[in-house]
Amino acid sequence: MSGRSTVHVEVTAIEQITPQIKHFTLRAVDRAPLPAFSGGSHVVVVMRAAHRVHRNPYSLLSAPSDRSAYQIAVRRMEESRGGSEFMHTQLQVGSHLEIAHPVNLFPLDKIARKHVLIAGGIGITPFLAQLEDLHDGVIPYELHYAVRAAEHAAFAERLRAREGGRVRFYFDNAAQAIDFDGLLSGQPLGTHVYVCGPAGMIDRVLATARRWGWPDSHVHWEKFSAPPSGRAFEVFLARAQIGVKVLPDQSLLEAIEAAGVEVPYLCRGGVCGFCQTRVLEVDGELLHHDHYLSDADKLRGKSIMPCVSRANCKSLVLDL
Amino acid sequence: MSAVFKPDETFRDDFSFRNSPAAIRRFPLPFPADDYMYSVNLEPHLPGPRGSVTEFALDIDEHYVAECRERAIVLAAEPLRFQALPHMMSAQWDCLELIMESLARDYSQHFSLARDGNRWHWINRPLGIDKAFTFGDASTLPQPPLEFITRQVQGDWVVMDQRDGDLWTEAGMVTTPADWSLDFDIGMTFKEWHGPVPLAHEMNVFDRALKYLLNLRLGAPVRRLNWTMTVNPRLDTAPELYPFWGPDRARVDATNAGDLVHLRVELQGLWRLPRSNGIVFSIRTYFISMRELVTVPKWARRVHRVVKNLHPALVDYKGLSRYRDAVVEWLAPYDDGSPTTPGAAPE
Amino acid sequence: MLVTGIKSKPVYAPLRADPGGRYHLLLGSGPGAAPLLQVLAELRDDAPDSLARSRVLFAPGAGADADGSSAAFAAAGVADVRTLADSGALLGEFESLLAASRMGLRLYVAGPESFIGLAMKIALQFNLNTDEIRAQECGSKARRVRCVHCRETTEEVRTNIVQCIGCRRWLLVRDHYSRRLAAYMGVMVDAEAPGQIPAIEEVFP
Repeated sequence: MSGRSTVHVEVTAIEQITPQIKHFTLRAVDRAPLPAFSGGSHVVVVMRAAHRVHRNPYSLLSAPSDRSAYQIAVRRMEESRGGSEFMHTQLQVGSHLEIAHPVNLFPLDKIARKHVLIAGGIGITPFLAQLEDLHDGVIPYELHYAVRAAEHAAFAERLRAREGGRVRFYFDNAAQAIDFDGLLSGQPLGTHVYVCGPAGMIDRVLATARRWGWPDSHVHWEKFSAPPSGRAFEVFLARAQIGVKVLPDQSLLEAIEAAGVEVPYLCRGGVCGFCQTRVLEVDGELLHHDHYLSDADKLRGKSIMPCVSRANCKSLVLDL
Repeated sequence: MSAVFKPDETFRDDFSFRNSPAAIRRFPLPFPADDYMYSVNLEPHLPGPRGSVTEFALDIDEHYVAECRERAIVLAAEPLRFQALPHMMSAQWDCLELIMESLARDYSQHFSLARDGNRWHWINRPLGIDKAFTFGDASTLPQPPLEFITRQVQGDWVVMDQRDGDLWTEAGMVTTPADWSLDFDIGMTFKEWHGPVPLAHEMNVFDRALKYLLNLRLGAPVRRLNWTMTVNPRLDTAPELYPFWGPDRARVDATNAGDLVHLRVELQGLWRLPRSNGIVFSIRTYFISMRELVTVPKWARRVHRVVKNLHPALVDYKGLSRYRDAVVEWLAPYDDGSPTTPGAAPE
Repeated sequence: MLVTGIKSKPVYAPLRADPGGRYHLLLGSGPGAAPLLQVLAELRDDAPDSLARSRVLFAPGAGADADGSSAAFAAAGVADVRTLADSGALLGEFESLLAASRMGLRLYVAGPESFIGLAMKIALQFNLNTDEIRAQECGSKARRVRCVHCRETTEEVRTNIVQCIGCRRWLLVRDHYSRRLAAYMGVMVDAEAPGQIPAIEEVFP
């Protein structure tokens, strides 16, 4: 094992596949096989822009068995903090990027008796790789894919061709909406449901599942959201003995990284807990935006997830 | 590694296993200090010093051919020492890839792997195996992928699926266990499988280890050392066969302890698997007899002290009760009380 | 070796209803009626609609007051109560019910540990996770013991040491438990000192 934690890749193709989504193909710079991965994995792409470094996670949508290239799809965000903007405007065929090894925080349950996949918009991406794993297997599955309009349905042709009746499309502009109650009320025992898409859709699926008595262990979700912006604030890193200013549209984690201090991370979305950091002192209020800490821990105020959380404070000292 | 194999060595019957002086010097002593207690002693599995057991991802030593033959003997009598639940097939392929890539990269004098897409060609010179097969198609191999490749590597292998916030033991090749049964334990979660280990649960060792392993990343394996003692260099101390090796424990006395009693060290490696998102746990066993051990004076003093002062619960759990005192008595003359340097390296 | 205090040994708690479930399936054997009635009482208080979507399978056992428990279940307001001749018949019915069940189910099991173990074994096949199953042990603590040497299972073991029905070795009954096998591990007790069998005591009455 090389122990190297990043892979150097080259952009070998860029395609505008819907008005807002660009599809990128990445190959290893040295054309060596890329690490194999499991469907649902993401890679964190390191983007070195003029004045700051962006690190954004993107799901791998390519077939896991294809080690010659990775494929990702990036939606241009209306209020981009710069990451998706960078991907859409600063890259050409031939550009080089660093990516971290794939990490899977949204895997399929291998002993499920059925999989129900629900995708909204760009949320289709992790499912594309998973469908490759499912296609040749024995577990029954179905995909429900909701988008604004037909032209926004990325990969629709590929999906129809390969999955036929196992995929159903829903177009907002044709007033077609997924019937979550219908979908979740009649599934056989042992079904797992997976949802990836806008926060509102995820919330509705979780609420519907709960209403129909689904246990949490059978409900899986992945959210792509940028860390929330907020007021600028200052933080002092006790071990590094440096002060760091966190800008309004920069996450606490990004500010710490920009100052040259590394914090372990996996999802950069407040879900996995890997970046949990000890709070030594705070004069003010911690703003927890994560889904990892318990309510009790958030109140206790001794820990923070710098990838998404912020503070309104006169001072904040972290154990970094 | 000098790679002179001793194919006729035995780990049963006449127990002809012996370590060469080079094998003794590279033995992974698990005691950095004169006492021992459990800890979550995981560290990154990065390349260790040249010639050491951690220089490469997987260690092949002078006992390689003999251990593979021993594995074949165990499996012929008890096929259930290899098991894999049906949903673990992609994990099996992940392990086959990990092992073949490691051996071909680090021991190219013995192993070759040529790949053209999914058409792979594997050559294992010491065992005389030359096999072309299709990666991903189990019908092109004579045994399930995990069995096929683990018959060609030293140490036991346990494969875990990660789901529902836990790790599940669902495939394995276990022919050199230190008294645990794959057939009984298969299907257990991480903490259930470690159920019989005393004290460590109260110390939260397994909660912390589980949390760490759930976040184990591709390309960043970890390792740790574990140890016990065995009478005779018997690799296969499965509970299934306890009626046959158990009586050996009562045969040890202060005169024969030097030759009969072996320190048994497990070098455990843990890797995240790419396609299955599972975790594979390798358990590579090393033996050294007390007589071989005392050729390194620092180790003689260190081990004497560790065994003499070992916590009673550990003495019991590690199966040392009947012969611990005999071992201590045998080692005592080699311990003049002088200090030992920190760390496990021979002085 | 560690015999007791092993963390793989299942730990049971008094049964509580889970009103988050939509359908409730309650299995009881022998003295298991009382905990199930407690669950039904809680459902009536917290989620009365769910009683119409609940079902009880009950095997009272020889000499038990079968009519009394049937009446008690009926009075509890549950839609469907079936009384079975023995736990074997109950488990067969249980398996058929699971095959036709939907997501949203909560399973409650009350009875002797070996009954619970066999019910869990069936539940495992349907991918029921720990957040869908609750179990309370009541009645006999007799164990199913799997001999690690010959792989036979000896039933109804009440003593710390038992003779294996397969290979006739005397086995020490450990707390190491396999959900897959629904049995505890038995290991030869006198391998190191042949013939020396410790005192045999009834410890799982």
